[in-house]
Amino acid sequence: MRRLLSSPTGIAGCLLLLLVFVAALFGPWIAPYDPQEFHVTARLQGPGPEFLLGTDQYGRDLLSRLLNGAPATVLFGLGATALGVGAGSVIGVIAGVAGGRVDSVIMRVLDGLLAMPELLFTLLIVSFLGGGTGQAMLAVAVTFTPGMARIARGATLSVRTREYVLAAIARGESRAWIVGREVLPNALGPIIVEATIRVSFAIMIGATLGFLGLGAQPPSTEWGLMVSEARQYMFRNPWCVIVPGLAIAITAMGFNLFGDALRDAFDPRRTR
Amino acid sequence: MSLAYLIRRLGAVIVVLAIVTLAVFAITAVLPGNAALMVLGENATPDALAAMERQLGLDQPLAVQYLDWIGGVLRGDFGTSLRLQLPVAQVVGEAFWHSAALAVIALVTVTVVAIPLGTLAALRRGTAWDLGIGLFSYVGTALPEFVTATLLLVVFAAPDGPILPAGGFVAPGEDFGGFLLHAVLPSATLGMILLAHISRQVRSEMSEVLSSDYVRAARLKGVKERRVILRHALPNALIPAVTVISLDIGYLLGGIIVVEEIFAWPGLGRLLIYALQNRDLPVIQAVVLLLAVVYALSNLAADLVIAWLDPRVRYA
Amino acid sequence: MSFLTLTRRHVLMGLAASTALPSVGFGQSAAPKSGGTLRVSHSTRIATLNVLSLSGPAEYPCIDMLYSGLTRIGTDNLPHPDLAESWEANDDATEFTFHLREGVTFHDGTPFSAEDVVATYQAILNPDIPAAARSVLTMIDTIEAVDATTVKFTLNAPFADLPVSTAHANARILSKAALAAPLSELDTKANGTGPFKLETYDTARMVRLVKNENYYQPGKPYLDAVEMLLYPDLTAETANFLSGSTDVMLTVQQADFQRIADAQGVQALRVPSGRYACVVMRQDAEPWNDVRVRKALALATDRELLVEVILEGLGRPAQDSLVPPELQFATEKPVVPYDPEAARALLAEAGYPDGLKATLVASDRPAIRAQTAIALKQTAAAAGFDLTIETMPHDTYLANVWMKGAFYVGYWGMQPTIDATYNLLLTSDASYQDTEWKNAEFDALIAEGRSTVDEGKRAEIYAKAQEMELADVPYIVPFFEDVLTASSAGTHDWEVAPISRFFHVEDVWLDRA
Repeated sequence: MRRLLSSPTGIAGCLLLLLVFVAALFGPWIAPYDPQEFHVTARLQGPGPEFLLGTDQYGRDLLSRLLNGAPATVLFGLGATALGVGAGSVIGVIAGVAGGRVDSVIMRVLDGLLAMPELLFTLLIVSFLGGGTGQAMLAVAVTFTPGMARIARGATLSVRTREYVLAAIARGESRAWIVGREVLPNALGPIIVEATIRVSFAIMIGATLGFLGLGAQPPSTEWGLMVSEARQYMFRNPWCVIVPGLAIAITAMGFNLFGDALRDAFDPRRTR
Repeated sequence: MSLAYLIRRLGAVIVVLAIVTLAVFAITAVLPGNAALMVLGENATPDALAAMERQLGLDQPLAVQYLDWIGGVLRGDFGTSLRLQLPVAQVVGEAFWHSAALAVIALVTVTVVAIPLGTLAALRRGTAWDLGIGLFSYVGTALPEFVTATLLLVVFAAPDGPILPAGGFVAPGEDFGGFLLHAVLPSATLGMILLAHISRQVRSEMSEVLSSDYVRAARLKGVKERRVILRHALPNALIPAVTVISLDIGYLLGGIIVVEEIFAWPGLGRLLIYALQNRDLPVIQAVVLLLAVVYALSNLAADLVIAWLDPRVRYA
Repeated sequence: MSFLTLTRRHVLMGLAASTALPSVGFGQSAAPKSGGTLRVSHSTRIATLNVLSLSGPAEYPCIDMLYSGLTRIGTDNLPHPDLAESWEANDDATEFTFHLREGVTFHDGTPFSAEDVVATYQAILNPDIPAAARSVLTMIDTIEAVDATTVKFTLNAPFADLPVSTAHANARILSKAALAAPLSELDTKANGTGPFKLETYDTARMVRLVKNENYYQPGKPYLDAVEMLLYPDLTAETANFLSGSTDVMLTVQQADFQRIADAQGVQALRVPSGRYACVVMRQDAEPWNDVRVRKALALATDRELLVEVILEGLGRPAQDSLVPPELQFATEKPVVPYDPEAARALLAEAGYPDGLKATLVASDRPAIRAQTAIALKQTAAAAGFDLTIETMPHDTYLANVWMKGAFYVGYWGMQPTIDATYNLLLTSDASYQDTEWKNAEFDALIAEGRSTVDEGKRAEIYAKAQEMELADVPYIVPFFEDVLTASSAGTHDWEVAPISRFFHVEDVWLDRA
C-alpha cells in the first residue's frame, strides 16, 4: 500500500477512485433533486446556482442524474469484470494445472475467441441477448473471459514449477489443496492487476453500449445513455453531454491509474 | 517463421471463421422476429408477413438456409441482402473501402505523430513535456470514442460557425478535399486512444533502450546523438510499438463501429449496425467475417514485421 | 402550472411561423419556372423501391414521384383523380367503375391500359405476395377490364371509401410486364407512370430521379431532376440545408425546428397531422379491463406538458380519440383535463386506493415512444400510478411486445378516413387489434358507415362511433404530432400532405437567385 501511494500515478488514481466511490456509495442520497423529476420551466440550462451542473431536455437536474447513475456505472464495471475474471481464472487455472491435451484444447478455443475484435464480439453478443443492462454486463464478461483465461494460465504455469509447489507435490498433497493453497494465491497478483485495468474497459464498453442503445435503457441514469439521449440537444446545451462524458472519463482514468500503480507495486522490476 | 507455420496459422483462422459463421447464424435464427418484419414495418399484417417470409426464404428449415448460404460463400457468392435486396458482395465491398480509408488515415496519422511524441517524452524525461504527454495519454485512454466524438462535435461543428463538417461522407473521386475534410473528425476520434497507447509504449521502450549498455557504448564511442537515437535506439524501441499497433487494429475495428455511427460514415460499422437492427443475416455474416479476417491478417502481418525488425526472432 | 404560460407562448410562436408562410410563398402568383434539380435531404435509408411492400419515410416520396395510383390523396385529405379521371359507384356502394386517362405511357414507353390496373390489383390481393395495401382492399371480390380505359370493381361488401383505399400509397399501378417478371426486380428498378423516372439507385447515398417528359399533366413536372440525398446524421443534414447545399429537408426534428424557422430565407412548414403516439392497454385482463383505471390514467396524463416537452410545442393535445380533427366527419372532442386528484379517486373506486404499479414498454425507435413513456411516468405519478419504464431495441419490441404486450407505447401515422383509422386498430377484426377492446355495437356502426353513401347519415354514424370511443377510452392518445418539413427560399410549392405519404413534387419549381 505504501508503495502504491509513493508514485504520482498511484496518488492520482487513489484520489479519483475515492471521488468515484464516494459518489457511488452516497450519490443517490446527496443528490439535490429527484433524478427523474421534470423542471419544465428550466429545460436545457447551463450550470447555475439552482442546478449546479445544468439540466437536460426534460429539465432534469444533471448533477442529480449523475450522482444517481454512479452506483450503476461502477457496479457495472466491477460486476462485468468480476464475472469475466472469475470465469477466465477458473478456465485458465484448469488449463495450466491440467496441462497436456486439456490445455491445448482450451487454448485453441480461446485463440478462436480472441480472433474477434473485442467491441465487435461484445456487440454481437449483446444484440443477440436483446439489449439491457444485465445483458450488456454478461456480454462484457464473456468478452473478457478468454483474455483473462490466458493470463491466469500464464500465471499458473509460471508458479507451477516453483519450489514451494514442487515441495507440496513431493509431500503428496492433493491436487485441489495444491491449487487452492499454493498455486492460486501466488498466481493472483497478475490477475488482480489485469482485473483492475479491465474495470475501466468494462465501464467504457458499458457506456458505449448504452450510447448505442444496446445497454442500459431510458429512463436509466447510466452515463453512456445520458450522453446518447442528450445528443440531439448538445448544441443547445453542451453540458448535457459534457457532464456525463467527463464522469465516464474520470472513472475510467481512476481505475487505469490505480491499476498501473498496482502493477508497479506488485512488480517493482517494471517501474520506470 | 516458416511457410509451414504460416499455413498452420491460416488454417486455424479458417476453422475459427467457420465456427463464427455457424454461431452467428444459429443465434440470429433462433431469435424472435426476422428481416420480413423489419421490411414491412407498420404494414406487417400476418398475411403480408407470411408472404414476405416465403419470398425471402425465411420459411425454409434453418439447416437448409445455412447450407444454402455456406454453399454460396464457397462458390464466392455471398448472397443477397434481405433488407436491401442487393448483392451482399456489392454492399459490403463498398462499405469496406470507406472503412479502410478511415482506418488507414487514422493509423498513419497516429503512427507519424505518436512515435516522435513518445521519443521526445523519453528524451526529456521528467520535464513538462514528458508530464504533458503522459497526462494526455492517460486522458486519451480513458475517453470512450463516443465521448471524444461528441466533445469534438461540440467544439468544431457547432451549427453557428462550424469549422468542420459534423458528419457525412464525400466520395474521394468526386471531391478529394471534401473527402479529407469529412474524415478529420472521425479519424481524430479513432486516433485519440491509439495515440495515447502508442506514444506511451514508445516512451517506455525508448527510456529502457536509452539506458541500455549498447546505447551507452555507442555514446562512449562518440557516435553523434542523432545517430544514436535514429540508428540504435529507435528500431529497438519500435518492436513493442508494432505489437501494440497490431493489437490496436483489433481496437480500431471495434472503435470504427461507434465512430461511423456518430459521424454517419457509410462504412462497415454503420452497415453492421443497420444489418443487426434489420436482422439482415447475410450482411451480418459477411461483415463479421470480413472484420475477423482483417484482424487475423493484421496480427499475422505484425508478426512478420517484428521478425524483420528483430534479428533474434528472424533467425530463431 | 407555471409551464402553461410557456406553452402558450410557444403555440403562438408556432402559429405565427405557419401563418406567415403563405405570404412568403408569393410564388403562387408568379408563373412557375421550369428546370433545375431539387436536392432533398432525408435521414432514413431508402432501402427498397418495392412499391408493393415498402414502408420507409424516405421511400414514400420516391414512389409518389415514380408511380401513379388510380386516385391520390391531396393536401385536403380527399381522394383526387390520378390515373382514373373519374369514377362512379352504384347505390349500395358494391360496384365501382373507374374511367382511366387515355394516352398515358409507362416510363419505358409501353402504353398504360386497364389490363395493368387489373394485374396490379390481382397482385395486391394475392396472398403469396407481401402487399401492404391488401388490408384496406380485402372487400374487393372481382376486378375486370371492361375496355381499355374502364375498370370495374365488384365488392363482397358495401364500401363507400373505395376511392380512398385505391389511393393507398402502396397501391400504385405497376405494368403487367413488371408483375410478370421476378418481383424482386421492383426493389431496385421502377417503371411507373409518375412524373419522374428513376435514373440512379444508390441506397447508401443517393436516389436520382429525372423528369418524365411524357407525364400526363402537360407542362409538368417543372423540375429536370430530383435528388434524394441520404444524410444519416441530423446535425450534418441541418448544416447542409442551412448552407444551401440542399433545397428541402424532408423531415425536420422538433429540437431543430425553431432554429431552422428562424434562419433567413427558409420556409419551415408545420403541417398539423393525425400522427400520434398512443398507450396500448390490453383489456382482456386486469387492471386495464376496468374503464375506471383507463380513465384514471387519461386524467393523469398531462397533455400540455407532453406537447411542450416532447414535441417542443409542435403538435396539439389529443383527447384519447384516434380521429384527428382533419378527417371528414371528425367531431369536436371535449378536453380531458390533467386532474391527478380525480384520477386518484377513480383509481380508488376501481379498487386501487394505494395506487397502481405497472410496467410500460416502449421501443427505442423512434425516440418519441420512449420519451412519451418517460413523460407519462412523471405526470401519472401524481395520481398514484407507479410506472416502471422498460425501453427496448425496436426489433425486440416488434417480435416480443407489439400485438402481445399488456401495456406499451404505440406510434402510428395518420390514416385518410375514419373508417381506415378504426379498421387499423379498433374494430374487432382490425389489422392490428392490440387492445382486445372488442365491441359489437361499435363494429356494427363502422360497418354501417362503410356502406352508407349519404354524407349526412355517415356523419351521424361516425359521431356515434367517436362518442363510444371517448366513453370507453380504449387507448390513451395524448397528442397529435405535426409534420415538420422545410424548404429553401428558391423552392416553391413544396408541400407535404398531413398523411405525409403524398408530396406532389410535380408542382414544385425552383427559382434560385
